[in-house]
Amino acid sequence: MLLGIPATALAQQDTTRYHLRTVEIFGKPAEIFASGSRVSTLDSTFLRTYASASIADALQTRTPVFLRTNGPSGIAVPSFRGTSPTHTAVLWNGLNISQPALGQSDMALLPLTSIGSVAVQHGAAGATYGSGAIGGAVLLNSQTQQEAGFGAEVMQELGSFGRYFSSAGARYSSQKISVALSGYYLSAENDFNFRDYGRIGAPTRRQDQAQVAQHGFMQDISWQLSSNTRLALHGWYTYADREVPPAMGASNTNAGQVDRNLRLMTELNHGSNWGETTLKAAVFNDYLLFTDNSNHSTTDINTYQVQAEQTYTYARRWSLRGGLNLQHFEADVQGYGRQVTEDRASAFLLFRYDPSQRLDLSLNLRQAFVKGYNPTPAPTLGANWLMLEQGGHALYLKGNVSGSYRVPTLNERFWQPGGNPDIKPEQGWSFETGLRHRYTWGLVELESELSLYRMLVDNWIQWMPVTSSYWSPRNLQKVRSQGIELSSRATTTLDDWQLAAMGAYTYTASEQVKAYEGNQELNRQLAHVPLHKAQLGTDLTFRTWTLTGNLTHTSLRYTDNSNAASLPGYTLLNLAVHKKFTLGQYPLIASVRSDNVTDRAYTVLENMPMPPRSLALSLRFVIP
Amino acid sequence: MKKITRFRSYLLSAAFTFGALTFTSCDDNNENGPAGEYARNGVLISNEGAMTKSNASVSFFSHGSKTVENESFKKVNAPLVLGDVLQHMTQQGDKLYLVMNNSGKVVVANAHTLKAESEIAGLEAPRYFAALNDEKAYVTEWLGYDANYVYSNGRVAVVDLKTNTVTKTITVGVQPEQLLITGGKLYVANSGGNTVTVINTATDAIETTITVNDGPSSLALDRNKVLWVSSQGVKVYDPTDWSVSEENSTPGSLAKINTSSNMVMATLTFSQKAPAPGKLTPNLSGDKLYYVFNNKVWVQDVNATSLATKPLIDRGTYVAYGFNGLGIEPASGTIYAGKATDYASNGWVVRYNPQSGAAVDSFRVGIAPNGFLFR
Repeated sequence: MLLGIPATALAQQDTTRYHLRTVEIFGKPAEIFASGSRVSTLDSTFLRTYASASIADALQTRTPVFLRTNGPSGIAVPSFRGTSPTHTAVLWNGLNISQPALGQSDMALLPLTSIGSVAVQHGAAGATYGSGAIGGAVLLNSQTQQEAGFGAEVMQELGSFGRYFSSAGARYSSQKISVALSGYYLSAENDFNFRDYGRIGAPTRRQDQAQVAQHGFMQDISWQLSSNTRLALHGWYTYADREVPPAMGASNTNAGQVDRNLRLMTELNHGSNWGETTLKAAVFNDYLLFTDNSNHSTTDINTYQVQAEQTYTYARRWSLRGGLNLQHFEADVQGYGRQVTEDRASAFLLFRYDPSQRLDLSLNLRQAFVKGYNPTPAPTLGANWLMLEQGGHALYLKGNVSGSYRVPTLNERFWQPGGNPDIKPEQGWSFETGLRHRYTWGLVELESELSLYRMLVDNWIQWMPVTSSYWSPRNLQKVRSQGIELSSRATTTLDDWQLAAMGAYTYTASEQVKAYEGNQELNRQLAHVPLHKAQLGTDLTFRTWTLTGNLTHTSLRYTDNSNAASLPGYTLLNLAVHKKFTLGQYPLIASVRSDNVTDRAYTVLENMPMPPRSLALSLRFVIP
Repeated sequence: MKKITRFRSYLLSAAFTFGALTFTSCDDNNENGPAGEYARNGVLISNEGAMTKSNASVSFFSHGSKTVENESFKKVNAPLVLGDVLQHMTQQGDKLYLVMNNSGKVVVANAHTLKAESEIAGLEAPRYFAALNDEKAYVTEWLGYDANYVYSNGRVAVVDLKTNTVTKTITVGVQPEQLLITGGKLYVANSGGNTVTVINTATDAIETTITVNDGPSSLALDRNKVLWVSSQGVKVYDPTDWSVSEENSTPGSLAKINTSSNMVMATLTFSQKAPAPGKLTPNLSGDKLYYVFNNKVWVQDVNATSLATKPLIDRGTYVAYGFNGLGIEPASGTIYAGKATDYASNGWVVRYNPQSGAAVDSFRVGIAPNGFLFR
């Protein structure tokens, strides 16, 4: 089953699939309280097949999310539904891990290897995921439910432009205890050739400022203390040393960035007549060093976080979860000129009600408390209704109204000069509705979803020049983002063949509708938000062979808020072939992967050349 | 949040003006004078662009058709990228020299067609360009700062315009900004110190150094061959809100230098300490100098012995970079101001009446307009 079913690589998640049952599986995912919203999951097969990639690569190829990346080594921050990168919450085992100084997460720093599951929440879900979940959320979970016994895996990949990736992992599981350990190492020269249009005559030049060295470890331990009590420890360390390439035409200032993130958490689950109790305690250290010829800037932040949740489930009718989250930040940031500490709290109440087998409803509420920056309460009301069920067809009608917020980041408030203590939290409202259709005909399964959304974000924060000597963040504008998301996938099995095909299209119109100060570019598409993104994907398996293909089209993006200059759209084709051998009794999987097969010259951000066609060979040996 | 109604009403009128503007067609049959799309009666506008994005651009406003064309350099030279931070644009003979500050080079283009021809490479943070003739020019360069953000001395690169190469560098003061050639001498304002370096253009040797008030940055020559130097003063920032402290800063000033004796004839000191004067720009006859001070435009009669008491252009509370560039149209004396809203959206050129200082009209240009070249 390791290679067998990439077919379900990206499954639409159906909240009705999470049946409400009394305590039998701990850690009921928060997604069950997201009735009527769009949640997709990258399944474990996909994660293992693309183990050498980052979450940025997975989001780019298999979801409607647009990733802003400055090059092959670079920072890749997501834009969900036309919002900015600070409008995405990233949660690891239910706790927010967004870097508190910048309020955003660099998806290139998050490896897919050793992550148990990745779910992507599209649209606002402030009540469930807290600050920052305005455009969406990325939910990462450790693998906890292991098959009994011992397992191990090693992988080695070699790729174009000096890319090496190695990973190894081992796990052991018994009735009482489960232990998993893994590590990875990645280095890449990224020394590809490109035409340098920043020089007269556009000479071909080799990229010499995009080297990457990354490594990391992950550890998950869980003890079944008793039949209804479990204690888990999760540890995750990632390190990245990356060169930051200059734009074509700009001088090379030898910019580089070191990111070091250590995340430790412990989680206690206990089931009783009162339902399920979960206690989480975590300590995170986020270190960032930016250097170039004239800068040496460090950010070092410790975050302590505690979350307590109580979930009560009554029969299969309703489930109620109440919780409290406390955060304490200790920030040692050069740019602040002093140590900054801050406490934040939030309380939430999540309610899911299934009045019938065909209808599920959720009603959620969260209130955050940050001294001086209290956002307004964020509620969610959602419904998912099985409208029609006939002859293999099932048609669902979905709807969701969500409030969301973002507490200003530490940089926005404390950076000197410019940090603005008078800044207000951003507030968002999102409305969405959609249809989901499932059709089963023998071995053919077809699943489609259409979503329409409209989102308003008020007090949108942007940095602007306020005097000629520095910039400062201001609550500049009100932004309206609206769009359509359409996706469909078909799967079937024919003798020795397993076939899956998927298609997706998204339309995103994100515009400033009101300006409070400064730039008055009303009703124009925000910079770096593509209007259209379309994807075609296929996974074909024949006996021990699998072919995976992804075709992604991203439309024109404006590079300024006046819509005067733009970058052309681009279409990328990625192909991979895997062959499964058997070594002794264990599978050995050999893969050949090529990204940008058509050798398209393109840029995601202006004047930042992206890699041409690349090739990667990998071997993965598994002891299941 | 405070609303800037004045700014808004201005924008309305500006939007109206913009609506009447269209892109020019490529009708470049010009019988008189040099041939080329950009040889027509009009003004070339340099747009700085946002640093590190390499999105500097050139716009062209035609007086004949009253139309503006943006991204003119790109239109002619794509896919060539102009570069990062267009600090200064100037013409010598048939050539246009575009100083690309964060590209470390000067792009050389045909002044009439904008066709890129060459580049002067290997410069470090070039700032301003001044040509002696068609053979020789000078470029000021800042050199980097150390761990404590203290700059070392900058230099002036001597450029052979026949080969577009640097033939020599002359070490001057800290952060050399504008330079000006007159009477066989090159004057360099060392903005990180308190001096103006004088270089003999025949020998390229330093002749003398003139001491002025702290932070000399812009230079202008009046009709009497008197060199005017604007000095910024030393600005001290309030540690709590990072505004410039009126109490602890030293005032800016305008100094007059006799270009025969290289002596300071007079220094006119501002009474307000926090704002800094800059962008000294003479009119055609050289009897008036315009400059920006406290986000307003002031005019100085060259024979007056004191500073003006009232600004010519006062927009009240105005965007921080409302006078990012200043230009005086030679024929009419119309004042052109480059207004940068922010560095993520296009800026404006606002034209003002030279007598009343009232805004006449405006048009949209590239990101952060900072200079004008009148044809």
